[in-house]
Amino acid sequence: MYFILEYSQFIIEGFYVTVTMTLVGLAGGVVLGVLSALGDVYGGKLLKIIINSYVEFFRGSPLIVQLLIFYYSIPAITGVKWDALTAGSLTLMLNSGAYQKGYFKGAIEAVFKDQLIAAKSLGMTFPQTLRHVVLPQALRIVIPPWTNEYVSLGLSTSALIVIGIRELTNVAVSISAQTFRPLEVYLFIGLIYFVWITLSLKVLDWVYNKVKIPGLAVSEVM
Amino acid sequence: MIDPNDLLFLLQGVPATLAISFLSFGIGFALGIPIAVARQMSPSLSYLMEAYEKAFRGIPVLVFMLLFYFGLGGFVPFLKDPFTCAVVALGLRSGAFQSQIFRGAINSVDKQQMMAALSLGMTKTEAFRYVILPQAFIVALPGLGSEISLLIKDSSYAFILGVLELTKHADILRKASRSFVFPYLMAAVLYILMTFPIANYLDKWGSRLKTKYGLR
Repeated sequence: MYFILEYSQFIIEGFYVTVTMTLVGLAGGVVLGVLSALGDVYGGKLLKIIINSYVEFFRGSPLIVQLLIFYYSIPAITGVKWDALTAGSLTLMLNSGAYQKGYFKGAIEAVFKDQLIAAKSLGMTFPQTLRHVVLPQALRIVIPPWTNEYVSLGLSTSALIVIGIRELTNVAVSISAQTFRPLEVYLFIGLIYFVWITLSLKVLDWVYNKVKIPGLAVSEVM
Repeated sequence: MIDPNDLLFLLQGVPATLAISFLSFGIGFALGIPIAVARQMSPSLSYLMEAYEKAFRGIPVLVFMLLFYFGLGGFVPFLKDPFTCAVVALGLRSGAFQSQIFRGAINSVDKQQMMAALSLGMTKTEAFRYVILPQAFIVALPGLGSEISLLIKDSSYAFILGVLELTKHADILRKASRSFVFPYLMAAVLYILMTFPIANYLDKWGSRLKTKYGLR
């Protein structure tokens, strides 16, 4: 197993790309997810149609095909040239946003309607209500389902191999091709993913317990 | 503008995609229910099952495919075939996912029903078979629907092993026709046409059965 240590530099670089792409995708996904959830809950008819077709496209087709579309098709249509990393991060953001929209929508709808009426009767404007009443609760409620999205996007970054990004799985393929020892290499890389995901789950669980609303369990509202 | 032959070529990839998805769903189903029941009935088995579930929830299915194909293909003859490899990897992962779906569904059935069944003289196995599981299955239907559509989408990982499924057909078509737009966009549309009807149908079926039997 020690031969793997010779490649530790590559593995660390690959792991760095995997984690960065996951975090970039999640961050972009949060922005897109919150905006499209707000649009779907409070917006007009046309906006809802646009948001739902965006969500259905990204939730209904495989990430691999989306990556190929963003890497090959979109530059061919628009004439804008971009590299694999740009295409990859855009796809991950849009893909994650489509999934996160569902979670945020559920969380926003879990905030009771009475509270909106109460806020209005206190003279709060709609943006104020969002900022001080809806989002502080919704963003806490959303953490447990959001954790699932973190895990699933983190593991999905292995699909980036199809557009040639040097993430962890791609590095594993190269090392296994060089050393002819696929069994050890893939087991080791699997272990890295496993430890990373397990630790992340622990951290997110800790965060949730820190910020959760006392007495308001998610099971009661979702 | 769209060459019918191109479309026909893409459609030829659909059977393989559906075959991978449904075969792995079958494996997952066959593993999921026993594991979910075993976790309820015997705490000692629980640790082993939990390790299995955690492994498949924490490692990308692509790594499992590569591990089975390149790593174990030399020792296990049937894993030399990329199609089988993809089905086994997706099937094992689906087993981990489906056991969680069924565990949630079993927990949603009222505990008192188990007690009532036991007090009628049923064994624990009979109680599961005739009382708990039929109700749990209805509760599980929407979850199973999204699991099938997840498998249809993730069957595209088999493309990396070279299986001739929909994504691979799109890729071949892109290289052959030098058209960068049609093959992938059409493939995405075909995937959407497969995933949504199936997930929606199971969802509707679930809520119809729920109202029929008066379940929550």
